[in-house]
Amino acid sequence: MDKIDGKMFRNMILSGAENLRQHAEYVDSLNVFPVPDGDTGTNMNLSMTSGANEIEDREDEHIGTVGRHFSKGLLMGARGNSGVILSQLFRGFSKAIEDQDEIGAEEFSAAFEAGVKTAYKAVMKPVEGTILTVAKDSADRAGEAAGKESSIISIMEAVIEEAEASLKRTPDLLPVLKEVGVVDSGGQGLVYVYEGFLSALKGEAVEAGSKPAGKDTFVNDVHEFDDFMSAEDIDYGFCTEFMVRFEADKREFDEDAFRQDMSEFGDSLLVISDDEIVKVHVHTETPGEAMTYGAKYGELIKMKIENMREQFREIQEKKDASAGRKQEGQAYDTAIITVSSGEGINELFRSIGATHIINGGQTMNPSTEDILRTIEDEDVKQVIILPNNKNIIMAAEQARDMLEIPAVVIPTRSIPEGLSSLLVYSPDEDLEQVREAMEASLEHVKTGQVTYAVRDTKIDGMEIRKNQHMGIKDGKITGADDSREATLKQLIESMLDEESEIVTVLIGEEGDAEEVERIISSIEPEHDEVEFEVHDGQQPVYSYLLSVE
Amino acid sequence: MALEIKNELGSIDIAMDVIANIAGGAVVESYGVVGMASKHQVRDGFAELLGKENYARGVIVENTEGDIDIDLYIIVGYGIKISEVATNVQSTVKYKLEKTLGLNIKSVNIHVQGVRIINTED
Repeated sequence: MDKIDGKMFRNMILSGAENLRQHAEYVDSLNVFPVPDGDTGTNMNLSMTSGANEIEDREDEHIGTVGRHFSKGLLMGARGNSGVILSQLFRGFSKAIEDQDEIGAEEFSAAFEAGVKTAYKAVMKPVEGTILTVAKDSADRAGEAAGKESSIISIMEAVIEEAEASLKRTPDLLPVLKEVGVVDSGGQGLVYVYEGFLSALKGEAVEAGSKPAGKDTFVNDVHEFDDFMSAEDIDYGFCTEFMVRFEADKREFDEDAFRQDMSEFGDSLLVISDDEIVKVHVHTETPGEAMTYGAKYGELIKMKIENMREQFREIQEKKDASAGRKQEGQAYDTAIITVSSGEGINELFRSIGATHIINGGQTMNPSTEDILRTIEDEDVKQVIILPNNKNIIMAAEQARDMLEIPAVVIPTRSIPEGLSSLLVYSPDEDLEQVREAMEASLEHVKTGQVTYAVRDTKIDGMEIRKNQHMGIKDGKITGADDSREATLKQLIESMLDEESEIVTVLIGEEGDAEEVERIISSIEPEHDEVEFEVHDGQQPVYSYLLSVE
Repeated sequence: MALEIKNELGSIDIAMDVIANIAGGAVVESYGVVGMASKHQVRDGFAELLGKENYARGVIVENTEGDIDIDLYIIVGYGIKISEVATNVQSTVKYKLEKTLGLNIKSVNIHVQGVRIINTED
């Protein structure tokens, strides 16, 4: 064949479009560049189909006219990067032949080159290893072939040979392709189009299996349930989908009759058919019977049955569960997050306004994430964080910076500091005023702790033996003694001065209320201006925590 | 101005120019875009077409408390479906930035400042 006219070009286009359509899913699967969204095949197919639709019903002999309509259809329907590039390739191609009735080998190869030129002009910085490269390489080859050959088929064969070779090279040009182990999706799509062209030239055009219904796309219907429904309201409980491939020795297919019969089984009926296949979607109580009926027409392929009542219940349960969580997590104008340990202390914090307690302290420091997590999903407008330990202040500050709502950290280094700063918290003031007041309160608090030594040690010139009790005042060890009672008494006395007004003692898990009573009754007579407050903190590690204000 | 990202190890500052350059790089590789225009030149009727080394001029990056909005001023080749080119640029720029910087991009707004007629004859 030395010449092609409008009719042949039309056949080539239809055949190319059909061949691409049949491979669109595979092309999708190759799509990793520029965005790996897996739609190259779909986009190219839609673009090509739009072009093909423009010429499908035309009987023009004039190849220039066919090209013009094809080009227009492609432009209007271009989808995605590769679809746009395809539209430009054939825009240039069609422009080159626009005045011709029919074209020979020379014009044919020149048209490929014109297409590539046009396509390359529409990008500032072409990325090689894409459909552009495949088009360019194969057009170059068309030019070479046209110098030697006058047969259009030979040229198209040369084009495809080079397009395939170029496609194989795309992973060497575009690293992301190599990484994933694929060839370029757009380039592959172009090869399918060219293959369709060749088939048409050889008179064996890819059959455009009548109006197809997109054979694989629909066995994935998404069902949405309205809020007001209940599982019992569903009349037909099984979403049933299947396809029947017609068989010659089975009942002859008549779509209207088939649809009428299917409608007896239930509702939400969809029947789509072509010459070979019918697809059915129906909601029914008797999926088996519906399929048995379908089987009268041929072989059942691709079956799917889903219990919609069960799906509905699951959705409801999930909804209920999430609704339940929401109710538990209350809405707070101000969340006060405090780190503490010991049920009694937690209770104290809660009683004076803490909304969130994170368990932690000397031996287990909560992370930034732990702090953030306490209020995620809750309706909180602002946050105050009390770390209550100098090792947690940093994490708390990071949490503050990551929160998208106003938040402050009061740098409390101990439980008593946390408690006394929270005592001055006033919900009516703005966050900055609150922070100032709470921080200021820390200046008046002295913190004391009584714990025991886990090993022999020597600190600040003081010998401490394992299991001795130590008194610690604002982080400094003030004394060690075998007697816990003596240690506490000595600690309290060292913390008291003329300005002291309140001494708060939190009794830990290992503390003893009677010990505290005895100490208080022995100290009180000498310090009648001081009030003593005793709470059961149940904290671990520290047998006593005390604050002096 | 820089964008600050914090994690538990410290903070990361990303200059706005970095974001603009990555976005610009993605734009010029985008099919159908034949040029970028600086926002203000166009007002005078002279669409100054910028070379690729000038990415940042056709790219405006705004950071509102960690939400990144990007405005791109582009010139599209004549005879190409403009809406599709713009859509492709949007998705490519968003993808590239999210992939390279881990940023959350709130919007990518495309301003088509001109259409350049591509002479197919030469």
